[in-house]
Amino acid sequence: MSEFLKFDTLSLHAGQTVDPVYGARAAPIYQTTSYVFPDTDTASSIFNLERGGHAYSRITNPTVGVLEQRIAALEGGSAAVCTASGMAATFCAITAILGQGDHIVASTQMYGGNISLMKNTLPRFGITTTFFDPTDIDACRNAIRDNTRLIYGELIGNPGLDILDLEAIANIGAEHHIPFMVDATFNTPYLCRCLDYGANMTIHSVTKWMGGHGNAIGGVVVDGGNFDWGASDKYPTITAPYAPFSGINLWEEFGPSAFATRIRAEAMRDIGPSMSPMNAFLLLQGIETLSLRMDRHMSNTAAMLEFLQNHEQVSWVNHPNLPGHRSHRLAQKYLPKGAGSIISFGVKGGRDAGKAFIENVELASHLANVGDAKTLVIHPATTTHSRIDAGALQAAGITEDMVRLSVGLEDIADIKADFETGFRAAARLAKG
Amino acid sequence: MGFRTRQIHAGVTPDPQTGSILTPIYQTTTYVQPSVDEYLSKGFTYSRSGNPTVRALELKLADLEGGVDCACFGTGMSAIQAVMLAFLSAGSHAVISDVAYGGTYRLCTKILSKFGVEFTFADGSKPDSVAAAVRKNTKLILTETPANPTMKCTDIAAVSKIAKKAGVVHAVDNTFLTPYYQLPFKLGADISIHSTTKYMDGHNATVGGAVISNNKDHAAAVRFIQNSTGTIMSPQVAWLTLQGCKTLSIRMDAQSASAMAIATYLEAHPKVAQVRYPGLKSFPQHELSTRQASGYGAMFWFEVKGGLKAGKKLMDNIKVWSLAENLGSVESLITHPVTMTHADVEAAERARVGIIDGLVRASVGLEDTDDLINALGAALDLV
Repeated sequence: MSEFLKFDTLSLHAGQTVDPVYGARAAPIYQTTSYVFPDTDTASSIFNLERGGHAYSRITNPTVGVLEQRIAALEGGSAAVCTASGMAATFCAITAILGQGDHIVASTQMYGGNISLMKNTLPRFGITTTFFDPTDIDACRNAIRDNTRLIYGELIGNPGLDILDLEAIANIGAEHHIPFMVDATFNTPYLCRCLDYGANMTIHSVTKWMGGHGNAIGGVVVDGGNFDWGASDKYPTITAPYAPFSGINLWEEFGPSAFATRIRAEAMRDIGPSMSPMNAFLLLQGIETLSLRMDRHMSNTAAMLEFLQNHEQVSWVNHPNLPGHRSHRLAQKYLPKGAGSIISFGVKGGRDAGKAFIENVELASHLANVGDAKTLVIHPATTTHSRIDAGALQAAGITEDMVRLSVGLEDIADIKADFETGFRAAARLAKG
Repeated sequence: MGFRTRQIHAGVTPDPQTGSILTPIYQTTTYVQPSVDEYLSKGFTYSRSGNPTVRALELKLADLEGGVDCACFGTGMSAIQAVMLAFLSAGSHAVISDVAYGGTYRLCTKILSKFGVEFTFADGSKPDSVAAAVRKNTKLILTETPANPTMKCTDIAAVSKIAKKAGVVHAVDNTFLTPYYQLPFKLGADISIHSTTKYMDGHNATVGGAVISNNKDHAAAVRFIQNSTGTIMSPQVAWLTLQGCKTLSIRMDAQSASAMAIATYLEAHPKVAQVRYPGLKSFPQHELSTRQASGYGAMFWFEVKGGLKAGKKLMDNIKVWSLAENLGSVESLITHPVTMTHADVEAAERARVGIIDGLVRASVGLEDTDDLINALGAALDLV
């Protein structure tokens, strides 16, 4: 039925069949650890991946399963695996196909946690990363080595907001038989379905716009089902016999969802960063209004861009929808509904003025999250990106006067009025 | 099946679709019907009228009490209200035991009296005074035993006999002892009421109530009120309460043993004027308590020498115990009924029924008994 359904319909219905037991219209919350098996043969076939079914909620859970299928449908992927957080999704996705001696080519403009994972944590396990400027396609191509097994980036870079040229990078991946994984947290499938432009898998922190209410931490890996794992011998975790499951060959058995199956069979089973059923339920509710919220996020963002550009206390405004932005053309191509609701801007007066602004706004919350229904502001240099050295800070496009704004769903007049209060405080400071 | 088996398994069957060992949380408003002709064929239509998760708890509580059915409510007060609305109407009369939770007293005197329902508050410890209060238009006798906060006990069998003779429904608020220690239906009562907030949940996580009926007509009358007045329990609360029930007997035994030790300690303490705990030989109705219940529970009260002033000093300075409303949880709580739970009962009525100003109510939790005793000792030292 899915192929006949549009995005808004999928966001309400995909992955959910009406509860066959009682007809419950909302997905039941299976807050359970385990599932009673009807007989030993069924139990054994579920354990051996020979059939679907639930054994233990670390590996699968019916409520989480609804969310996984819904997100896979919205992204146009073959399967999805939900995780306890966005970072867990990134870690599980990478380690499902990479191991000691392997190499990643990744964008410099990423969430600080992603950079830290690749720069500090993965090298301890023999996985190294070369970072490339997302606006320089040649830099990406030149970073590819014999042992490169993954190209990774965020469609809308954080916090510089440069846009990845999905098709160009996907082509580089295709030339070298390397999958291209995109962190699509900032765009959501409503603004851009990255798989349609050649990405092979997407990652989300569903904590952000997907859930949208700031009430549950979660992540997801979506398998695009569009990468030919068997075309080379680079990916033995997918194409070689998998010993724990009687030497099964995931690529032969599961084809387009082999990658997702590997995450399920290995990361969920051996590492266990599973999403809780309650979080899945809250996130499912959030996704029901995804398109409505994103439209409002984008109209408020457009209004704030105009407001900030014309404000005397603002030294610069950065957003891909502004004609002067260096990714403006790519934003128009990949993000025609709008290039996300994150804006960065500089407050006249530098670091102290930026600080005064953040301390004097009241409606906008000062916190380290994005994509909430509520408007959020933060000073990246002292918070989200504080553990990154000065060179990397510059490469990521962060300046000391930068304020990152996550535009919420409030009445736009109230957001503007709140910002005026913050700017007045910054102006008083500037006058001394 | 024994109580410990039933408190875990009664009402809960593995989910037929997935095998989920726990009943899912059906956080849903409505249920898709297969067809017009098959309306209600799967049992549910709308979550105000019934919900599969709430139903699992209802079946469990009905089983534990030995009743025919149970209806669960958003709070203990809505459970009591449902019993009153089910059996009383304008012009009818109810006899209520003269010591009951302050909220029950308030519901009778401030709300239902406005709709022409009459109440008599009779001494539940004296069956004769209950019998004397029964009139031609009496439809309900509601007793709470042990009563909150004085611990006065009602002879359930004697009052049930009076009710039966008069053709009146006898409802017992069984919150303090739970079906693990006290089974009102075996003693002839018709209805058992619970604030599930207390021992059923046990973890201070939810507020909820339950009415268990011992015959189908009563059950239907209560169910009708549950649906009509919209006071059903939420699925999340039902699910948490289902988890709490699994350890009910273990908690009750441990908390009651602790209560016995603490009450004994306090009774011997030179700064304590009196202690009222059904398990103590000194308790005026110790014999009745031993006869009609298999345990004494974990609630008691005491008075510090020096009355209210001394009691306040103790309550304001005690460690480990929390000064709070509620009772029955794993956290030990200490309460001053005159200013807290029974503040809406008039001073004269409080004095008449024995809720003295210096009464300190104790709900013994699951902490180490020595820690609870030492904390009381340290607070008494400051008095």
